[in-house]
Amino acid sequence: MEPAVEMARSGSVDFVGLECLAERTLVTGLIERAADPAKGYDRRLERRLGPLLPAAVANRCGIVTNLGSANPHAAGERIAAMCKANGLSGITVAMLGGDDLSGSLDDVVWEGDPLEEGGRWLGAHAYLGVEGMAEAFREGASIVVTGRVADSSLFAAPAIAALDLDAEALAGALTAGHLLECGGQLTGGNLAATKGRQLDAHDLANLGYPTATIERDGSFVLGVLDGKPARLDLVSTTLQLLYEVHDPRLYHTPDLTLDFGNLLLEEVGENRVRVSGARGAGRPESLKAIGFVKRPGEVADVEITYAGEGAIDRAMVARDVLRERVESLGLHDYAVDLVGIDSVLGAVAHLAPGYAPPELRVHISARCTEAEEAQAVEDEVYALTLSGPAGGASLRSERRPHVSVVSGRVARSSVNVSVERLVS
Amino acid sequence: MRISDVAAGRAGDKGDVLDLTLVAYDDEGYRTLVHRVRARDVEQWLAHVAPSPVVRYELPNVRALKFVASRALAGGVYRSLHAGMHWQKAAIWLLLDKELPDA
Repeated sequence: MEPAVEMARSGSVDFVGLECLAERTLVTGLIERAADPAKGYDRRLERRLGPLLPAAVANRCGIVTNLGSANPHAAGERIAAMCKANGLSGITVAMLGGDDLSGSLDDVVWEGDPLEEGGRWLGAHAYLGVEGMAEAFREGASIVVTGRVADSSLFAAPAIAALDLDAEALAGALTAGHLLECGGQLTGGNLAATKGRQLDAHDLANLGYPTATIERDGSFVLGVLDGKPARLDLVSTTLQLLYEVHDPRLYHTPDLTLDFGNLLLEEVGENRVRVSGARGAGRPESLKAIGFVKRPGEVADVEITYAGEGAIDRAMVARDVLRERVESLGLHDYAVDLVGIDSVLGAVAHLAPGYAPPELRVHISARCTEAEEAQAVEDEVYALTLSGPAGGASLRSERRPHVSVVSGRVARSSVNVSVERLVS
Repeated sequence: MRISDVAAGRAGDKGDVLDLTLVAYDDEGYRTLVHRVRARDVEQWLAHVAPSPVVRYELPNVRALKFVASRALAGGVYRSLHAGMHWQKAAIWLLLDKELPDA
């Protein structure tokens, strides 16, 4: 939370955005809301907003966040209560609704059959745009809390409200939003580059998060607070610009399809990049929808370590024993990997001769149709400690539910964006 | 010469789709990437771990190539049998470590 609190305290930032909702993070919120209608917002809400609220209010810095997850209404009530408890009165909190499609699943055109293999719905959401958020800020909200909205729209909304941007400039604000949405990934985090500034552990532990200074024409300058360690240059900006964008000339946001084909990036100072030339390519007629489907059974994830002289040979024997045992259970949908060799990027063609890592983990993931089957897989790994190669140690076991993410499109007319307000 | 000598990179994903970005350090590097790293090369490098058709997009204005593998992550993060979740965050090394193919 420090980057957001520092930005709010700096006095040079008008709004901070907290984007906390990955594609599948909503599943947790949906499960919690089903158990308790007052829950379902992000569990980290108190921890994150606790230190930020007083700093933001003192510096007249607005907050926009999707910490509302599956329950923005409950999140807004919680935030208003937190304001009150901190002696912050007269703060307007706006909650954005309308993304929840659980009552209108049939209005969505899904890809494929979402309920195949005996699936049942956990929930579904539309990705909303700036509509509602921008109005809420225009009408005096200090804090806007949402569920599922497009990340680029989340960050663009305050700029649109504050600058009264026209359609031309909207492309720029959404591009700025897209660049800011992953925080430190714009400023040197998760950056695989052998050239240019290399950040050390201390830099990364204190990484400067990005800011965007947006002009009325939609151009903007990216930066970090003075003195913060960061790598914000053409390489870092381009990697984030294209991150999870499939066709860079047709990047769909709910508000506008963006074309990055003519974008101009310029380094205009240390850790300062100017971005201009963002263009729109029409407004999508429908909104993206995403649903979560629970299917029967679960995935068993079990691990065991082999260490010391000959660890690699014993780990390979353990892998073969496991394969034979699991096959004998009638299970065929599984993978056994050696963590330290082939568990991430797949089979290694040639290990260096004499390669002898001091320890290795053997990992099995098995897709099981019922809990008892998952237990049997776990038991087979535990059996290795007694009946397998020597020294099987440090076991760990987990179960994951079978949850599939399904995508679709929903007409704007089937989605009713709403804004609720609370004053603390 | 390896790809990492001329470009930086990052992997991302949405649903079933794996996308890999390479950004060249300079104009010459970008020309090298365009001529020597084709969609079919990437398709081959992914085949053993995430088989999928691959489409390449060129962005000369920012000296970048994108490779989009639309069916590489069938069923998404929860469905994967890889150890741990989000193995694909490391997938960029399926490209960066490779010797540049001949043009």
